[in-house]
Amino acid sequence: MIFVLQVLIIVALAPLVQGAMKSLRARLQGRPGPSPLQPYRDLAKLWQKEALLPEGVSSIAVCAPGIALGVSLTFAAMLPIFNALPALDDVVALVFLLALGRFFLALAALDSRSAFAGMAASREMTFASLVEPTLLTALLGAAALLPPVVPFLGSQPLGVAHLSELWLLTDPRFFGLAGMLGFGAFFLVLLAETARIPIDNQETHYELTMIHEGLALEYSGWQLAFLQIASYVRQFSFLILSVRLLPLYGSWVESPLTYWLTGGLTILSCCAAIAVLIVLVETAFAKLRLFEVPQLLGTALILAATSVAMRLLGAAL
Amino acid sequence: MRLRLAGVFATWTISLLAASGAIIGAPRPTYHAPGLTHVFASIPGPLPALRLDFGLDPLALPFLALLAMLGFAVGVWCLRRDRPIDAVLIAGFMAAMLAVLVARSAAAFFLAWEAMSLVSVFLVAAHHERRDVRRAALVYLVVAQSGALCILLALSVLVAYNSGDGSFAAMAYANYAAPMLRAPALPPATRTAVFLLALVGFGSKAGLLPLHFWLPRAHPVAPPSASALLSGAMLKVALYGLCLVIFQLAAPGAAWWGVVLITIGTLSAIGGVLYALVEHDLKRLLAYHSVENVGIITIGIGVAVLAESNRYEQLAGLALIAALYHAINHGLFKGLLFLGAGVVAESAGTVDLEKLGGLWRPLRWTAPLFLVGCVAIVGLPPLNGFVSEWLTFQTLINGFRVVQPDERLVLLGAVMGLALTGGLAATCFVKVFGIVFLGQSRRVPERPVARENFDAGTAALGILAALCALFGLAPMLAFDPLDRVVATLGPGFEWPSYFHSLPVLPVTLIALPFAGAIACVVLATRRGVRRVPTWTCGSPVTPAAQYTATAFSKPLRTIFAFVLLPDRRRVVEAGNAWFPKHIVYTTRSRDVIDETSRRFGALALWTARRSRALQSGSLRLYLAYAVVALVVVVMLARR
Repeated sequence: MIFVLQVLIIVALAPLVQGAMKSLRARLQGRPGPSPLQPYRDLAKLWQKEALLPEGVSSIAVCAPGIALGVSLTFAAMLPIFNALPALDDVVALVFLLALGRFFLALAALDSRSAFAGMAASREMTFASLVEPTLLTALLGAAALLPPVVPFLGSQPLGVAHLSELWLLTDPRFFGLAGMLGFGAFFLVLLAETARIPIDNQETHYELTMIHEGLALEYSGWQLAFLQIASYVRQFSFLILSVRLLPLYGSWVESPLTYWLTGGLTILSCCAAIAVLIVLVETAFAKLRLFEVPQLLGTALILAATSVAMRLLGAAL
Repeated sequence: MRLRLAGVFATWTISLLAASGAIIGAPRPTYHAPGLTHVFASIPGPLPALRLDFGLDPLALPFLALLAMLGFAVGVWCLRRDRPIDAVLIAGFMAAMLAVLVARSAAAFFLAWEAMSLVSVFLVAAHHERRDVRRAALVYLVVAQSGALCILLALSVLVAYNSGDGSFAAMAYANYAAPMLRAPALPPATRTAVFLLALVGFGSKAGLLPLHFWLPRAHPVAPPSASALLSGAMLKVALYGLCLVIFQLAAPGAAWWGVVLITIGTLSAIGGVLYALVEHDLKRLLAYHSVENVGIITIGIGVAVLAESNRYEQLAGLALIAALYHAINHGLFKGLLFLGAGVVAESAGTVDLEKLGGLWRPLRWTAPLFLVGCVAIVGLPPLNGFVSEWLTFQTLINGFRVVQPDERLVLLGAVMGLALTGGLAATCFVKVFGIVFLGQSRRVPERPVARENFDAGTAALGILAALCALFGLAPMLAFDPLDRVVATLGPGFEWPSYFHSLPVLPVTLIALPFAGAIACVVLATRRGVRRVPTWTCGSPVTPAAQYTATAFSKPLRTIFAFVLLPDRRRVVEAGNAWFPKHIVYTTRSRDVIDETSRRFGALALWTARRSRALQSGSLRLYLAYAVVALVVVVMLARR
């Protein structure tokens, strides 16, 4: 039942990650900004408020926040931290799982009869369908199931591509150019999936420019709280997963006694570093025009494909 | 009524026959070689080549099971809906498909195949009073007969090399025993020719790119029950034919067959879903999705061939399991969706997405069942589409290790293409379900839709939805029998259980999202959700403020404009440019294949018109031609 502990830790820390990133971004822009603890206060406030929904919506719109939250929690349980849940230790299943939450949120947005929500649903689904191949390919590029980087290191038996074995069987020293390209692709996926500039803007106030926020436009009260926890947990989970694509993580597994302490610290410090990188990108760049986003996502796909192709052709060094 | 009942009972009898065939023929460990099937009926012909053999081959069993399940549900549907004569034609169509699946000699196979094509033409031409229906039926007939010609050629070549014997068992055994006898059953060039002919013949029937163009024309104009069987079963029968040739009659396949199949499959998957995205006729949209799913199945078959030629039978077995599993699943959910589209057409009076909306409330039975179909076809957990797409991905990923380095790149392309297809399919079905069933009706003036009662039609939808859920939540129910089926293809084909997670994967993935949905319902009833008008910046809330299907697919139409060739027209009526009274915006995507053939046709006509100048009808000119020709011939002869 250790994965329950894992999910609880992630859920507890996820709002802090969001708050800290927001606070840091404000500082970089020369504003005092909110406290890093502000998301907790917002969630507590939202939880107490009454929920409103548009007239005549179906039960899909009522259920969608719960489905999104369930998807995020399952994602958190899938992460290869304690290796506790073997059934979900699966790269492909992760991609399908994320699609499930998105599908119902987009349906709920269309159900609300709002043009803004419909527009957000259209854009979210469009970008998601371009991100999905990159996500899968970037993760596969680091999978132990692929042909081994160096033949004599041996490789896994056939089976599922495990999340817990990214860059594991292959010595981290062989991370190489392929690994860097894969990580670069995954970083762009991370920006898209966590609704960050240059693809989306979490802090926009214009309905016409909202993508991820637009899906939640008609939600309020405890339902909005559900959706917000869901996106915080998803963001933190993606950060942890991106640490998995870095080579330094693999070497910690060899010392199981110190694993809990050093491993935990490594994950958190790497997450912090990547989060800072995201905030720097958000500060330095402007949001892309809608129809320039596909070019960025296409670049990410090509990076990921090159990374996998290098491993497949045995040229990872 | 009597005619209808006769048709329905005949349909049920045939599905019962198919079901018992699938159960009786269940593979036993006594099979030593592929295709060595017990023949239960043999009708001698004037020549050995014309003998009609019927038997139960393990490879046909998954298709028989699909035919039984889908046929039963369609029979239930026909109890109350569609014309009585359709029920009878459906029974005939089922019988023909059953005959194709149990045929074990070339003549029997071809006769059954032609019967299947002809009966389905009658079903496509059901509403023959409409001009577009007649045209669709004609296009379908031409494609079906051209395909049949290729199949006939392939079968004739096979019979000729089998010393004039038409028996499939003999051909399969000859191929199987060839390595041991050191005498190839078929010369490589002939094998290649047979494969290419079969690919064109069966591929055109299955709707693989680029020969898919008849499918979105013919499937939507048929009655719902016929569309369900055409897309759900007949395309699978065509794929069965392809498998039969590849794994038995012309086995073993070369590696490049696999590469060709994977490439065509990936292109069909992406192309099918892209055209579906920009389509606003619900039934045509579903027909394009058949192209996509047939592509996914073909990828599985291709990987099987590729792995087998690399002497990796385990992976070949897994790939074939994935393909067969997806074939069954696609039959179930596509049947469900086509029947659901039939309900929509009947109650709302249209299948144009731009005029639909808000059917969730009146169609209280169909709407949730249709949602099950949408979730299944998109491949979301926990339904059957998820399991077979997941298996296909695993097949491709495991293939990375066991095939040659350059073939790995083909697999990589297929993985990316399949992932893109999954994302685009999700977008497409968000559009379909969100526009048709959610929101409010977009029709002006609004037409009330009667509240639906539970009847035979919705019962048929329920059966198919239950099967979709069953094959998703309990994947081993299909995986184990399919594993036994592919094990008959040769030693080493069974897949050792490397997937310990598969039996519980769908349930584990869905547990928390399901709990979340329940929590939301409980919270909503306990704490209450106040209903307020939708936020429209303060302007009145009208159905016209909703997003439309055209608008929803606009970003992807722009991104993929190089394939979709969108053709936009914007007509502004009256008034000055700043205050138009009425704007008409139409957009239409042209199928690249249609467009190419149109250009070819135009070029041919243009050439013909130009060359007419040579034939002016003047005798003197003709004499001049003759003199010039004579001079040229003499000059050439003198050299």
